[in-house]
Amino acid sequence: MFSKYIFLLLFLFNLTSCSSKKETVYNYEGSFNIEKGGMLIDAMSGEPSNLISMIAGDSASSAISGNIFNKLIKYDKNLELAPELANKWIISDDQKTITFYLKRNLKWADGHPLTSNDVLFTWELVTDEKTRTPYGSDYKLVDKAEAPDPYTFRIHYKKAYAPALDSWASLQILPKHILKDEDINHTFFSRKPTGSSYYKLTQWINGEKLTLDANPSSVMGEPNINQLTSRFIPDTSSQFLELIADNIDLMNINPIQFARVIPSRPDLKNKLALYKELGNSYTYLGFNLKHKPFNDIKVRQAINYALDKQEIIDGVLLGLGEPVASPYKPGTRWSDKNLHPYPYDKNQALKLLREAGFDDLNHDGILEKDGKPFAFEILTNQNKQREMTAVLIQRRLKDIGIDVKIRVIEWASFVNQFIKTGDFDAVILGWSLSLDPDQYNIWHSSQQKPGQFNFIGYSNKEVDELLEEGRTELNSDKREKIYHAFSKILLKESPVIYLYAGYGLTAMNKRIKGIESPAPPAGIAYNSYEWFIPSTLRRNEIAP
Amino acid sequence: MLNYLIKRLLWMIPMLIGISLISFFIMHLAPGDITASESAFNPKASEESRQKLRALYNLDKPLMTQYSLWLKRIVKLDFGNSFASHQRPVLWETKDAKGNISKGMIQDALPITLMINLIGLLIIFALSIFLGVVSAVNQNRWPDRLITIIVFIGFAVPGFWLALLLMYWTGVTHSWLPISGLHSAGFEKMGHFEQYIDLFKHLILPVSISCLGGLASISLYVRNGMLDVLQQDYITTARAKGLPENKIIYRHALRNTLLPLITIIGLSIPGLIGGSVIGESIFAISGMGKLFFDAVLMRDFPVVMGILTIGSVLTLFGNLIADIGYAWADPRIRRGISN
Repeated sequence: MFSKYIFLLLFLFNLTSCSSKKETVYNYEGSFNIEKGGMLIDAMSGEPSNLISMIAGDSASSAISGNIFNKLIKYDKNLELAPELANKWIISDDQKTITFYLKRNLKWADGHPLTSNDVLFTWELVTDEKTRTPYGSDYKLVDKAEAPDPYTFRIHYKKAYAPALDSWASLQILPKHILKDEDINHTFFSRKPTGSSYYKLTQWINGEKLTLDANPSSVMGEPNINQLTSRFIPDTSSQFLELIADNIDLMNINPIQFARVIPSRPDLKNKLALYKELGNSYTYLGFNLKHKPFNDIKVRQAINYALDKQEIIDGVLLGLGEPVASPYKPGTRWSDKNLHPYPYDKNQALKLLREAGFDDLNHDGILEKDGKPFAFEILTNQNKQREMTAVLIQRRLKDIGIDVKIRVIEWASFVNQFIKTGDFDAVILGWSLSLDPDQYNIWHSSQQKPGQFNFIGYSNKEVDELLEEGRTELNSDKREKIYHAFSKILLKESPVIYLYAGYGLTAMNKRIKGIESPAPPAGIAYNSYEWFIPSTLRRNEIAP
Repeated sequence: MLNYLIKRLLWMIPMLIGISLISFFIMHLAPGDITASESAFNPKASEESRQKLRALYNLDKPLMTQYSLWLKRIVKLDFGNSFASHQRPVLWETKDAKGNISKGMIQDALPITLMINLIGLLIIFALSIFLGVVSAVNQNRWPDRLITIIVFIGFAVPGFWLALLLMYWTGVTHSWLPISGLHSAGFEKMGHFEQYIDLFKHLILPVSISCLGGLASISLYVRNGMLDVLQQDYITTARAKGLPENKIIYRHALRNTLLPLITIIGLSIPGLIGGSVIGESIFAISGMGKLFFDAVLMRDFPVVMGILTIGSVLTLFGNLIADIGYAWADPRIRRGISN
């Protein structure tokens, strides 16, 4: 009786093991010639929501739509503006008019010509009151837009607006001939787009995967890799298992996987290449400048001296981060090389706190002023790295006699109950910024209303003036000077303490070739269309 | 009997309104709305555009107005569209003018979750009844102890940890089973039989993990119920008249033991549409658990309310079915209802 079942079980196991793939041994080393074809599979934690990027706003959507749509101009590998659909652009002498000249014979993936009318149409969409886009404000500053001929697109601003070029380097151009009669908020185009760039969408299975195929009529030329498949795997541990089982080619990994797991295993080191690149973001400890004692510059400077940033980078990121001294990505022209983060100096911190009136009179280890102990609460959202950072800060501040409590809160509550109401002492948060140096929304004293981004309540006349000047100056060299001066004041006043800029870490199967390493300022993905997979290294792409 | 049924069904209406009212208000007690998502914390996104969005979704209206708007739609079985930027219908597919079909979010997620949970439930009950009977018959001897220890270990082990270990062992070191997802690459090109085999292989781990926790409670239910029944007088009678032990246990004792399980089955019906968030995330299966969890984090109210409404309808029906099942199986209760 039982033997029958055991036989059945054995049969089932046989079934599963027979069809399992054989471990193929690839030789990844050596030189390979560029070949077209092949398929790259990556993993995404979230599923894209809407491939019309002006409406979507999530990073998964923009990662996919960036492969499908083009912009007028783009950032090249050194983060300088470069041609994309437009082969040149001219800024008028009064800096209020920009004229883009489009390349000739541009075509959408369906063969329809792509002209300046499409650009004008896209501008009309993004500024339309009915369009549900959070990003309209930059484009609403355009006073008049026109397309005098199919290859020219001209915009006039009421007053010179420096981030304009950056805004045109992020607006993906949409096809007028398909969308003109559609309701942009509900159109099926968001799931079945027609673009003009390297790839076109061929398959999208909800909750499972999305496939892009090379677009033969791409205005950018054909990419080397034929097919990109993105699998939606929410859990990063599962992604990692798929990566080491060779089922996906690339994923973002965490510092432990980067610095410990992969280097310690020869089999993984043999088949995975590791890349690190700085993103345009940084993590900071921000103070509520309307609360005592954080309105006192000496207190903020003291805390800045009391924190060992390298310790945080080593402890939280296993060394995979950079200290920052300005709100700009290190290595770009906006980041001033002459500025240095506050060194770790406990005595200097104590000295400054004494000058601010703090002293430990009752010898309980906590400083007091006017009889009140120096105690405050650091708020942060559910983010492992920020939580660990908070613990290190708590310890360092205890050293100098400040009592810190840590509170971790779910994001929506965090924003609505604490940030919007201004009901906090200090927060650990991060800013992910666009590549334009304009940070008016974050630091200008006029941006403090609930829901606006200067929620720390920073207000400095000189900074206000510099920010206003910086947004109306289109000359990069002059802007550089303005933003260096701005960064210098910020560093001195310490309204926030810059903690670190973490590296984005990628593990990639070595079958993918043609990646620039070390990563250029724009990151490794800037030339992903030039990556290739030698045919001897391709995985057996049709399942047995 | 018919009167009883009609009465029970009519009672459901006020119950449902009450449940939906409470869940609606509790949901809105949580701070924040769809415009407070993490991606909206972008200096390029202005507060005015967020206000515009709030007005568009009626989030700026008083709660009572919002509730009555929702109620007005739901009585027409219109579950609305998600607040997320894909704007997909919550419940069922819609077709636009060009014939493109947008699948409903629940429509996509429900079959997957139902399939996993139904298979899981069948396995749990089949195994538990077997284990429970073996335990009871061998009370306090080694088979009983062994089974109790095993089911409790299964209950206590964190599912996500065991899942990852099993994925590593069966997927990475041995490549016996696929690691995550429900379909292999190239699923579309397979024949029917291969597709079933492929799906079966993908389901082995998720279903086993989801069963593990349920075994303990139900097998103990069966064990203790069986022990109770075995001490009844009619069992003694059966033994006295010389019936073989097998017949006593499986015909006389087991049937009576199974009666309380009807309640448990009834109570499991609403659970069938709920998935485990952690399990679904780890195995990359887009089921109901993940759908609900993401909707709560995003404050995607139409989706949250849609799932809660379906859940409460199923709970009420589950209770009803359990009661009817009882009446069908147990003549004593049947008489009580008819009177």
